[in-house]
Amino acid sequence: MKSSLRVILGFLKKEFAQTLRDPVMRLFLFGAPLLQLTIFGYAITTEFKNLKLAVLLQPDDSVMRELSGHFYNSGWFTRAEAEQGDPEKALYSGAADAVLIAPPGGLTKALGRGNAGLQLLIDASNATKARIVEAYASSIVQKYAASRFPAREPGPGLSFNVRILYNPSLETSYFMVPGVMTMIIALITVMLTGMSMAREKEMGTFETIISAPLKNSEIVLGKTIPFVVLGMADALLVIAAGLLIFKVPIVGNLFVIFAASFIFVCTAVSAGLLISTFARTQQQAMMGTFLFIFPANLMSGIMFPIENMPLLLRAVAYINPIKYYASLLRNNMLKGSYPVVVLPDLAVLTLMLLVIVFITIRRFRRTLN
Amino acid sequence: MISIELDNITKSFENTRAIDGLSLRFEPGTLHGIIGPDGAGKTTLLRLVGGLLKPGSGRILYKSGPNPAAFEEVRANLAYMPARPSLYADLSIREHLEFFKSLYQLPRDEYAAKSKRLLEITRLERFTERKVGELSGGMYKKLGLMCALLQSPTILLLDEPTNGVDPISRREFWELLYQLLEQNILILISTAYMDEAERCGMVHLIDSGRLIASGEPKEILRKEKAGTFDELFLRSAKK
Repeated sequence: MKSSLRVILGFLKKEFAQTLRDPVMRLFLFGAPLLQLTIFGYAITTEFKNLKLAVLLQPDDSVMRELSGHFYNSGWFTRAEAEQGDPEKALYSGAADAVLIAPPGGLTKALGRGNAGLQLLIDASNATKARIVEAYASSIVQKYAASRFPAREPGPGLSFNVRILYNPSLETSYFMVPGVMTMIIALITVMLTGMSMAREKEMGTFETIISAPLKNSEIVLGKTIPFVVLGMADALLVIAAGLLIFKVPIVGNLFVIFAASFIFVCTAVSAGLLISTFARTQQQAMMGTFLFIFPANLMSGIMFPIENMPLLLRAVAYINPIKYYASLLRNNMLKGSYPVVVLPDLAVLTLMLLVIVFITIRRFRRTLN
Repeated sequence: MISIELDNITKSFENTRAIDGLSLRFEPGTLHGIIGPDGAGKTTLLRLVGGLLKPGSGRILYKSGPNPAAFEEVRANLAYMPARPSLYADLSIREHLEFFKSLYQLPRDEYAAKSKRLLEITRLERFTERKVGELSGGMYKKLGLMCALLQSPTILLLDEPTNGVDPISRREFWELLYQLLEQNILILISTAYMDEAERCGMVHLIDSGRLIASGEPKEILRKEKAGTFDELFLRSAKK
């Protein structure tokens, strides 16, 4: 055992020297995750702000003017222009995302008649955006109507009292950042490991290693432990960035998050090594990584809900380690470390790790055939 | 001391038959030369002996004295230097020696003495901090040999160690090998340089994966009535 430790330390030293000395690798390891996290965290949000809204109204229509003020003060809409005669032009030219049109004769008069209908034209070439515009708009109109005419419509006797838990302000970044962290840790760890092993093969150094008087387990551990260490360093970096840059809260237990990260990093490293058993060159390893990581990220529930997928894809999603780590991170950061939530995910992830390690060791060949 | 016996070995890759029914015996204390032109099957032969390839048919027998030995026992005392570049371009000479120290699990004192001596012999002491990617061809080969010799192997497999090395370095290389031979080890060296054949204790001439001749160099030349090994090969190529 003692001598195996020395072999692994030797690999550790060598892999660190090779990885950390190369400026490109340093950037890939530490710069890219921060950049990606920032870009993804800020840019990819499912909430829309700065929606361009044009309002068409008569100058003397005071109610409509007041209502449009509510739209613009909501923080969701910015002012856009549309032509009175051809409101659609603003939509197809892209000058506006939506046009709010007062009823003929003006809203003030229409309300006096007791029959007021507003028209809202929405550009639905982006369906998600259109649905959100509609939801925002109807909530603003309802709120306005309720405050202005409290007696007018008593409303049904049943109402919701909604309390939003775990992310009360519905910040998208709280939800996205743990997901993006998962994707980044997965990509970097899988790729780094896969390419490092493929590089040994491509450069011919694999021949030297496999002819050395080593046990198979020593070679496998020697080529994986350094990347577990680097992967963990990356995980901690990304988690710290999530806390500091995005102020994502950590409600749960930090130790559980570390344990989950450790199991996941080990899984990703094993997956990288597994990919490298199919690859002879670094390019092949990189292609293999992308072939695995893109579908795995898309089917992890980070961006798109797994519940809506067809049965077959759902089945695939459930054997995806990224899904479990994303769920672990989100739950631990936002909800808390309730054993009932955390333990099943941890158990499944550990099981996956064991399965991947088993397959990798079976596939690892100590010959050049 | 370990001896090796090849019993009617064949090895094919897809469409090519690299080794075609080869039977050979390698005794310890001798410098065995595997001589043949490019594509003769020299690298495949060494990889088979080193356990990097499994033979398609036939057997490789390792013997420790008169007793058969399992390959796993042999591996611990086997050093192999591949023909193609197989060092890390981004690591220095010292980092290589240290990495191989841990691969071979050498005790610290042994490593210190061994690396010092090898650096002296190869005259690379002044370049220990230099990255391997910046070494000359001859220095590169010498470092490859040093890495293989860091442990004290009983079987040393050298695949074209002098290929692309200047004549002075080549001479030094061979002197190093003779020194090693005094420790009664088994050295298997492949080369495409026919003049190097005469430096070996035993030569095994192969072409297209088949054995052409085997024996002491002078004896082979006398038997085949050839002046040099070049001549012998040209003659066999014509057939």
